[in-house]
Amino acid sequence: MSFPTVSSHFVSEKISSVRWLPEQLQQSDRFVTGSWDMDQNFVRLYRLQSNQYADTNVDFVPRCNDKVAIEGDVTAMEFADKNTLAVSCADGHLSLLNMQRAVEEDQLQRTARSERLHYFKRTNKSSPCTDLSVYGGDIATVGEDGCVNIMNASNIKQVKRTIEADSMSLLSVCYISQQQLVTANRMGVIRILDARASTAAQEKISIMVGSKDEKSSNYVSALGTHPMQHHILLCGTEEGTITVWDLRNLQFPASYLSAHESAITDIAFHRNDPSKVFTAAEEGEVWMWSENKGIGDRNLHDGKSAWLSGDRLRSLVNVDGVLTRIRKAINSFDMNGPRLICGGDTEAVYLVDNIF
Amino acid sequence: MNDNTVSTFELGDALATRFGNTLTGVFVPGSKIALSAYRHVKWNSRDVPSETAGQDPVLIYLAQETTLFDEPVLRSLLAESNITFATLQELGQRAPRAEYLRISHMYRSVVRASLERLEHAKKSPEVQMDEERQQRISETVIVFYAAECLWHLFEILYMQQSQLIVPQLLDWARFYAPQIEDRATDFLLMAEEASENDDYWNVLKSLVMVGALDVTRAILRQNRKASQPAFKAAELILASMPVYKEGFPLKKFNSQWEHWHVDAERKIRANTFGSEPELEQILQLVTGSNEHWDAGIKESNEWYEFLPGYLLYTKPTCKPFELKIAAANWLNRWTLLRPNSQLNNMSRMISQLMEHDLRLFIYDTQRINDTNWLTTHMIDLIYHSGELKGYFEQNNIDLPALRHSMIYEYGSYLMSTRSLWQLGIDYLDCCKQEGKAAMELLLPRISLRSDRHALKLMSVARKRGLIDVEQEICKVLSRQSFDDERYGNALEWGIRSKDVLLVTGIADFILKNYSQTGNMLCPDVIVHIKSRMFISPRLVFLSKYFEFYELYRNRDFLAAVELLVNLLNSKITPDYFWPSLLIDTVPLLESKDPKIFSNETVAILHHLETELVPIIERNTDKLGNKNAETVFKDYRAENIDEILNILRLACARNLARSLVIENTSPES
Repeated sequence: MSFPTVSSHFVSEKISSVRWLPEQLQQSDRFVTGSWDMDQNFVRLYRLQSNQYADTNVDFVPRCNDKVAIEGDVTAMEFADKNTLAVSCADGHLSLLNMQRAVEEDQLQRTARSERLHYFKRTNKSSPCTDLSVYGGDIATVGEDGCVNIMNASNIKQVKRTIEADSMSLLSVCYISQQQLVTANRMGVIRILDARASTAAQEKISIMVGSKDEKSSNYVSALGTHPMQHHILLCGTEEGTITVWDLRNLQFPASYLSAHESAITDIAFHRNDPSKVFTAAEEGEVWMWSENKGIGDRNLHDGKSAWLSGDRLRSLVNVDGVLTRIRKAINSFDMNGPRLICGGDTEAVYLVDNIF
Repeated sequence: MNDNTVSTFELGDALATRFGNTLTGVFVPGSKIALSAYRHVKWNSRDVPSETAGQDPVLIYLAQETTLFDEPVLRSLLAESNITFATLQELGQRAPRAEYLRISHMYRSVVRASLERLEHAKKSPEVQMDEERQQRISETVIVFYAAECLWHLFEILYMQQSQLIVPQLLDWARFYAPQIEDRATDFLLMAEEASENDDYWNVLKSLVMVGALDVTRAILRQNRKASQPAFKAAELILASMPVYKEGFPLKKFNSQWEHWHVDAERKIRANTFGSEPELEQILQLVTGSNEHWDAGIKESNEWYEFLPGYLLYTKPTCKPFELKIAAANWLNRWTLLRPNSQLNNMSRMISQLMEHDLRLFIYDTQRINDTNWLTTHMIDLIYHSGELKGYFEQNNIDLPALRHSMIYEYGSYLMSTRSLWQLGIDYLDCCKQEGKAAMELLLPRISLRSDRHALKLMSVARKRGLIDVEQEICKVLSRQSFDDERYGNALEWGIRSKDVLLVTGIADFILKNYSQTGNMLCPDVIVHIKSRMFISPRLVFLSKYFEFYELYRNRDFLAAVELLVNLLNSKITPDYFWPSLLIDTVPLLESKDPKIFSNETVAILHHLETELVPIIERNTDKLGNKNAETVFKDYRAENIDEILNILRLACARNLARSLVIENTSPES
């Protein structure tokens, strides 16, 4: 077994989102970053190059190949297909960017920009679009105006459906199937919405994450689902706790775990190996949770994920610090095979190789 | 940067020129000066509008110090040095010396990496098009190149505790004067043909003077005449020059050195190199002949360029404290030989460092246009490493106070600069009370871009116990949302702000709106308030009432009645809501199958007479009899008297009915 290697690269931008470019058969060596809280925000396309300076133990150095200026803070990015990146922006718009992979310099181009999707009704001011989720060719965005907008990646000018889901700012959204999505608001309320139904026809199913102090709010800052078993929903919260829901049973959460000391900024199962879960936190930590293989063999014969095992969860997962003591928020991460890339307010990207 | 250049401001707008182009300025937060036209007013001037009042617009200008950190490429310098700074703070004051040296290396490598990025950016097509930016980058490169050079020298002289400084100084001088080495490389590549170059001997002399003996020998070996006895003898002298190594007994070295020196001089005097006068000059330099070095000085660009080389040939075991005298002598010699040349700032600062005049050095570094990046980090490092403690004590400099004020200023600058606030926090964190106070002032000034941004600020404030700041942010956002008619959002921010009045106000608004229109605002939020409602009694009432409202809508009447009666008894019902609340009982009282027991009915009647009626009377007294109808502007209560009658009747009917049922039920 090889040890993980971490290298940090300063990029002079606060990173709000980072994604590997999807590759079918090989390990991806390109990634995109989106910035926030800068005078001018960009989506940049980076490519890993082997390090020219032989004296260091850093194997790869990212080099910016192309960039596209975005009108406001980039809030979330997700690939709609192999070459199309959906980017949500704090000015309430959604953009589609197209990547062109080349031998020398890759190219990045904006191909479409939606109408203003999110705005406040009374003042007609733009409302930040806070998150987006992609399923098949569909893109769902949520904003601080409490609305969910659904459109197809082939034509984002036309909004297929607008659901007035919440009278509070929505912070996160996640598809759980083609028809269903979950949203989370600042009070920790998670709603399950039907993508096909109008606002009035929604069934109003909501669940709420617990909080350590009953009298204060605990927002859900990140949502993630299991890549195969979509009914497993992970919620990372302001208090740094993880609540796991089995969406087939909404009576009570399947598991609850106190993890970080600060707000969780991103949470996800590893796409290819769902026995691993990653969490990132505001205080600059990235942790890897792996299912304990030895015990798992005996107890998990029914194929049930350890994450649904309630109080026993603590004994079924091991936690490792992938990045610690960064001291400023890691806002986003993405993994590709054994490689993890993270970005945050330290204005650096962290490349972790050989993670397992 | 010149001592005599003082920036001048002129407004030159119509209003200012009218009064002799005078201006006045006020400092505003964020290191800005607000400038506007000014007219002198004396004690005896009359306080009347001036004759030209209203003719010209009053313009206010904001002047801000320019800073190199506007350049985006330079952000990485700030971010990276911030991390090193934080590492140093964790290290504290008791770490081994090597650790501080490592930190010093890290700072320098941060600067070097940034310089590399800047050079790279300068060549990018984007910058090539933008002349202004190109200019700015060039300036930045000069400033930070100097900063790195000074830091490097500082490190050699004060941070590392080696008593042997000549080799390091040689490296240092060579690194900042790369031209000579470039030429040398050319010559090495040209091999034999180099000998015919016009510059050949000049370059060789320079090489010797910067102490690059190995390279000199390599070039000489390639000379066409290398096989001649003169060259062979020279090679022998150069190769046999003793080099002092750390730990070697000093006395033994000195005798070796003496011996070599005498031997070399003897060979020169014996005219061994008579046939090669240029070669002889080189050897004269190596043996430290004053006459030849004087000639070299005249050729040099900067005073410090050949000093390390000179030391190598004359005082190879020079100790840091001996350097002071050597540098002073050398500088004197240099100025005597070149009376017309002036020292630029960097040269002056180098001499201050070498002559151990740190007081002046620190004074001068503060005038470098780097927003005190260099001074702040260097002083912090000096403070932590504990080097030079004696020096500062002798010179009556309060180092902790100096460090404190530098860090405070630098941190405040970062905090008040858009998008650098996160970096500033770490610096202000080391400034104890003042830092906290500054954060308390500066954090709320950061304009909020989105909820996420606000939540980040709040978590920063909370971690440092700045509860006021956190609540302030919530209050502002709550008010904004309220003005946007996003009541659910406003309510949640209100709850986060823990401001009872604010929450009560919003809950009042929702209740009033309900009693006027029958429309419940943001039900999805109210239903989830749960235990959070205890922040304000009004919110408790709202939540409980909403619970009743939901039970009623779901036709769970028995539970609804219980809750309603509880609400009536709760003593938290706001006055304006009494009619609405009592009217809600009517359909329950009047429904076909009885739902309210006799005791409850009595209670309702009691509340009607003791709560609602006095309120009506009070208001009627205040407003006069005629306005009785406007006491409650409620569409469901157009006529108070009528409502009272309906309520009384309903209670009476239900009371009769329930008494009958309760007293005839089978059990009793």
